[in-house]
Amino acid sequence: MTKKTLGLALATLLALGVGGAHAQDKLTLQLKWVTQSQFAGYYVAKDKGFYKDAGLDVTIKAGGPDINPSQVIAGGGADVIVDWMPSALATREKGVPIVNISQVFQRSGMELTCRKDSGVKTPKDFKGRTLGVWFYGNEYPFLSWMDKLGYKTSGDGNSVKVLKQGFNVDPLLQKQADCISTMTYNEYWQLIEAGMKQDQLLVFKYEDQGVATLEDGLYATEKSIADPKMADKLARFIKASMKGWDYAIKHQDEAVKIVLDNDASGAQTKGHQVTQMQEIAKLVEGGKLGYLEPKAYERTVTTLLSGKSDPVINKKPENAWTHKIWDMAQK
Amino acid sequence: MKLPVSQLLAIGAMAAALATPAPWSEHPAAVVCALVAIAGGVLCLRRWPPFMEHMIALSALLIGAAAPLLLLRGQGPFGLQAPGLWLFLAGWTLFLWRRLDALADIPGRGAAALIAPGLFGVALLYLWQVLVVGFAVPQVLLPTPAQVGHVLATRMDILWPDFQQTFLKAVLAGFALGSASGFVVAIVADRIPFLKRGLLPLTNLLSAMPIVGIAPIMVMWFGFDWQSKAAVIVVVTFFPMLVNTLAGLASVDAMQSDLMYSYGSSYLQTLVKLRLPSALPFVFNALKINSTLALIAAIVAEFFGSPILGLGFRISAEVAKLNVDVVWAVIAIAALAGSTFYGLIAAVERASTFWHPSYRT
Repeated sequence: MTKKTLGLALATLLALGVGGAHAQDKLTLQLKWVTQSQFAGYYVAKDKGFYKDAGLDVTIKAGGPDINPSQVIAGGGADVIVDWMPSALATREKGVPIVNISQVFQRSGMELTCRKDSGVKTPKDFKGRTLGVWFYGNEYPFLSWMDKLGYKTSGDGNSVKVLKQGFNVDPLLQKQADCISTMTYNEYWQLIEAGMKQDQLLVFKYEDQGVATLEDGLYATEKSIADPKMADKLARFIKASMKGWDYAIKHQDEAVKIVLDNDASGAQTKGHQVTQMQEIAKLVEGGKLGYLEPKAYERTVTTLLSGKSDPVINKKPENAWTHKIWDMAQK
Repeated sequence: MKLPVSQLLAIGAMAAALATPAPWSEHPAAVVCALVAIAGGVLCLRRWPPFMEHMIALSALLIGAAAPLLLLRGQGPFGLQAPGLWLFLAGWTLFLWRRLDALADIPGRGAAALIAPGLFGVALLYLWQVLVVGFAVPQVLLPTPAQVGHVLATRMDILWPDFQQTFLKAVLAGFALGSASGFVVAIVADRIPFLKRGLLPLTNLLSAMPIVGIAPIMVMWFGFDWQSKAAVIVVVTFFPMLVNTLAGLASVDAMQSDLMYSYGSSYLQTLVKLRLPSALPFVFNALKINSTLALIAAIVAEFFGSPILGLGFRISAEVAKLNVDVVWAVIAIAALAGSTFYGLIAAVERASTFWHPSYRT
């Protein structure tokens, strides 16, 4: 061997060794929707280096119209997902063993927005009206609410007409529906931006109607939680993510800038994201950051089980959540 | 004497399977069925009158098919830990293959000639069932035919209204309107040459528009109900009909049109008595294309906004809930509807264009 080859070999070995010492644990997060302030905490944690400091190399996969996070984790495409509890519990009942490891949103942002000129004043006026719902896993709270009010979603009699709306607000603008599903932080503001005035709209918040279910939470598989190495990774992930959320809520302008920088599609606008960040902060606050309140969980389960005609889940879920990872993250 | 190698292989595989690991001992009934299949296979080595041979083979196959099903009713383990099961299945499939070969030689177009394709279809369903259960494929990836059949049997309360919404309302209306308008515009364009030259490139452009692009626009224009789906179908079926009718009208023999000229017939008489009948094979060609296009367009369009009814809506809603067996049931209904529709048009075509060379076989 010549001196040059030997030198090269030594340099390569050194580089590999040095690289090996700083190897970060890889983790994939699947978001519930496209890149927007709804997920600011995770993007802030990534860009501000909180994940790196925790020894994690996190890949954030944005969601979208055809992406159901529960299916992604069932297929092995992610280690941890952001999902809504009704969808996660329904998936769990189907045989995919996902478990809630953290509850990020303490309050629900879901609401039904109606045009005042349609004549709807209270939920009692819904009979015979056209209401829009997204489906793709978001229909569960709506179906529970209709069941609670005593409306059927098909046929004659005490029923409402339901539309499977797309992910836009056109049905309300074009008067094709009397009311549509909106989130306090997203579609409602799309209506305002499209030219509607706040006094033209009537909003029924699911929280006020007593049918709110828990929304954005972090879920992982039973297998991941049982594996000590993976559980440790998840705990570090939760700790860094909550640090990210705390930072995002306290520095909202910077958080919006980070979200916009990470938006590969370029579809988001600053104004919309600033309003969204303000609304999201209202949903995240109000308890221990990322902690799942067992009472809130019970409320969600009761709402989902109470559907008489088309229940979202058929039996009470067992071991669907755990504080183990959150407790590990507090150390 | 020529040895039927494949038949011997089939018998050999089935016999060897009984000695290979598989839960044979727990299911004596399965062993009996397997032995019957082997006996049938051995009997078929001898020459019998055709009808008897078919009956022996088919009975042996039918009873033999019960063996894997009986084995799978047990606890397991199956998959790669029960090679006896798969060896038997391989032997049985080879036996079936030989029998289908022999059955396919039945001449004629009667019911007897349908046995081979029918049997092939049923055998595919059977193999699907055994393989999925045997290898414990998760239900969310691929359900068994039994589960799909169960959904078809029990959920007709939602599937029938879905079918009415998509097929009876959107598809039929859109298909009729789209094909009729394509036909009429073709006749007009044939009469007015500048229209033909100008319209064809434009409609070519229209037809290249993807359904996923047109559908949301139609929903915005025509609302959420079946009308917007019919509108999408009209856009999609217009062009094939237009192009085919124009080609058909132009397909007239020079001698035949000279004959009409020599009779002093007017444009309208030539059109009705010579050119339209001559264009019929082309028109039916377009109708057959449009029948499948219409169903696809309706189902895809429903993904973009619909009332909570319809085959496309059912697929998208149930796949999100991971009810994959319902999705497959909807697929089965759509496939059946599409093939029946196509078959009906083909039957009408046969009745009205029997004179065309393509039928003189």
